[in-house]
Amino acid sequence: MEPRFYDEMFENDGTARAAGRRMVEALGGLAPEDLAKLQESVYRRFLHEGITFTVLGGDEMTERIIPLDFVPRLLAAREWEHIERGLKQRLAALNLFLKDIYHEGRSLRDGVVPLDLVLGCPQYRIEMRGINIPHDVYVAVCGTDLVRTHDGFAVLEDNLRVPSGVSYMLGCRDAVKGAFPDLYRAHRVREVSDYSKRLYAILSSLAPSMRTPRVAILTPGLYNSAFYEHALLAGEMGIDLVEGQDLVVHDAVLFARTTKGLQRIDVLYRRLDDDFLDPVTFRADSALGAAGLFHAYRAGNFVLANAPGTGVADDKALYAYVPRIIRYFLDEEPILSNVETHLCREPDGLAHTLEHLDELVVKEVGGSGGYGMLVGPHSTRAERAEFAERIRADPANFISQPTLDLSRAPCFVDGRIEPRHVDLRPFVLQGRDRQDVVPGGLCRVALRRGSLVVNSSQGGGCKDLWVVDG
Amino acid sequence: MLARVAANFYWMGRYLERTKQTIRLVRYPLDRLVDRTAGEIAVAWEVVYRTLGQTPPDAPESRAEAEMFLMTDAYTLAGSLIEETANPESIVSCWNVARENARQVRSHLPLPVWTCLNQGFLWMRDIDLPTAWRSGPSALAGEASDRLRHLSGVMDALMYRDDGWRFMVLGRFIERVQHQAAFLGAWVELGRRERGEAALPWADLLRICGAYEVYSRRYSMQVRQEQVLVFLVQDPELPRSLRFSMHLIEEMLAGIDAAGARYPLAPPHRMALRLAAALEVENLDGERGRDSVRFFRSIANECRRLHELAVAAYLEFPFAAGQET
Repeated sequence: MEPRFYDEMFENDGTARAAGRRMVEALGGLAPEDLAKLQESVYRRFLHEGITFTVLGGDEMTERIIPLDFVPRLLAAREWEHIERGLKQRLAALNLFLKDIYHEGRSLRDGVVPLDLVLGCPQYRIEMRGINIPHDVYVAVCGTDLVRTHDGFAVLEDNLRVPSGVSYMLGCRDAVKGAFPDLYRAHRVREVSDYSKRLYAILSSLAPSMRTPRVAILTPGLYNSAFYEHALLAGEMGIDLVEGQDLVVHDAVLFARTTKGLQRIDVLYRRLDDDFLDPVTFRADSALGAAGLFHAYRAGNFVLANAPGTGVADDKALYAYVPRIIRYFLDEEPILSNVETHLCREPDGLAHTLEHLDELVVKEVGGSGGYGMLVGPHSTRAERAEFAERIRADPANFISQPTLDLSRAPCFVDGRIEPRHVDLRPFVLQGRDRQDVVPGGLCRVALRRGSLVVNSSQGGGCKDLWVVDG
Repeated sequence: MLARVAANFYWMGRYLERTKQTIRLVRYPLDRLVDRTAGEIAVAWEVVYRTLGQTPPDAPESRAEAEMFLMTDAYTLAGSLIEETANPESIVSCWNVARENARQVRSHLPLPVWTCLNQGFLWMRDIDLPTAWRSGPSALAGEASDRLRHLSGVMDALMYRDDGWRFMVLGRFIERVQHQAAFLGAWVELGRRERGEAALPWADLLRICGAYEVYSRRYSMQVRQEQVLVFLVQDPELPRSLRFSMHLIEEMLAGIDAAGARYPLAPPHRMALRLAAALEVENLDGERGRDSVRFFRSIANECRRLHELAVAAYLEFPFAAGQET
């Protein structure tokens, strides 16, 4: 009988999959003390190098290290090629969709996506309407969450605003490569270390002028949970890591304040939500952006990656329409499937959700980080009753999906190797005239036994993903 | 370089130097605990606190009480200057601030520099003073000093000599001149009050400044006050002399505003040159030696002014004066 969960390392009969055979042999030859030492060595590396995320609680700010499991997840190259094609297809279609909804709105007129779903989405930025984006690249950096079941890989979520986690991909790789140097070489693992180089090439290709562009990363600052990642990427690309206070707009041109005066910026890779980019155009109380920034952007004097207003396309309700978007704009069948999704804004979807609350995962349309969701099979009767009330009060704010049997990969937990549920976030880049996907990604793991929630804020950790021959 | 980034480098340099100076100071009375009298230990603590411009925690009213307090409460005083996070001059506080500044510019730092600084932070965060005290009162300061030396070596070996480096060294040496001037002033003033070699020997001053051996080679083993001051202020090759530090400050400012790029010279550069000249020509050896306390005070004040000029010229977003480059 087929086990309930797909196992990333073992076949149904318990033998190692071809890609992982060497790894299984190597781990089998290690005593528990040796495994513990390996885990300790990768933990120390993260600790000493300060690979942290910041957690704010009240007035306190603490730096935490994301739990890292040293056992890599292995994926055969042919499976990766399938994923890569699917990711590129999806991003191409979403960029076309974004251009369309901020211009002529053909897909809305043709009923591909309901008009009110788009125009009613808080992430739809009316300020973007009619603005011509250089090279029509709305989303230059995308992080797509994938899950695997016995049916294969499926997209769980698109992250089109400020996707994060790539630093953990790079940090995991360095740490795990150091822990298994011989195995790494023997597996001929596909490289991810040139991610920053690829990212820089993509960002500079978007510059509005032909001269060598000045590219910078905009960070909310030290207190942002992903500050480490912003600093890492800026360092690797050799570009400035700017905060709002470093920027000034003059004559609709964006400048950075330097020790030698003002210097023009051509491409700004922003790691800041739309709301905070410009207090003149968006939230007036934002101290994180720069006044007039959007005005300079509208004038076409610099490029923002990603563009404001891209969040409308990663909305959890709109997600259900992505296969139709792909068919409409590309005239192709989606290579990667979606997870079955019920929209509570529709009467059938609402009825199905309320009837099967104990079986479904219910999510808030604008929620993230594993917050504001109900995992039906793990919930109490009282929790379900409370959620049902919330859904009835505002159906459009919820969607539901079946509880997925996420695949499992071996992890070192409590002194021994045990399977845990995992997902995968690869990063897709879209430049002026090409797309790029680094062969790897952030592999998140639910370290609590039985848990399906992989978010770091909910006790999740990460592990390295090795794309290997096969 | 972004003005904010330059400011982070500058403050990182200042706080690392401040850590080093506090370590150097706090070790002095702690090392004296072994074989000095209560009065001598009390004077040593007084030098420390006067240099830092602080009053000891729970300072008593009368001098007699003060001596007793300073002698018996070495543990409290050392704790306040080593691990007390509420004290901004404590070693832990200074290291933390240096690390926070480094964290903001870690994209400009070689990984080993950041790692070394971070490991020091993790060590200090977990300091256990009672245990360390049992193994030797100055053990913690010694370990902190070793970590700082390690960090300095890694920075020297790996950091690129760009504006980031220049602002860091600028901060480090402005801090050093200010601190060293305050320290020498406190030493001279308290030494004069104590009227004797026993309480504050000049040889001790040389040792604290890491200059005793060089002094012996250069002058003699007979330590003379006038020569000590000339050596610590005007020697061009002694890393802790004021003149040496001021020369480095001037060199860094010249690098930040490359020669010929700005005329007339930027205000901080002009002031550094003037201070360097004052240090070179000051007569510390003769009759005017009696004014040395005032001289050190004025150097510390001038250096504070130099800091303000540097901040105004480079670090506080000088966009009003700036043009696109």
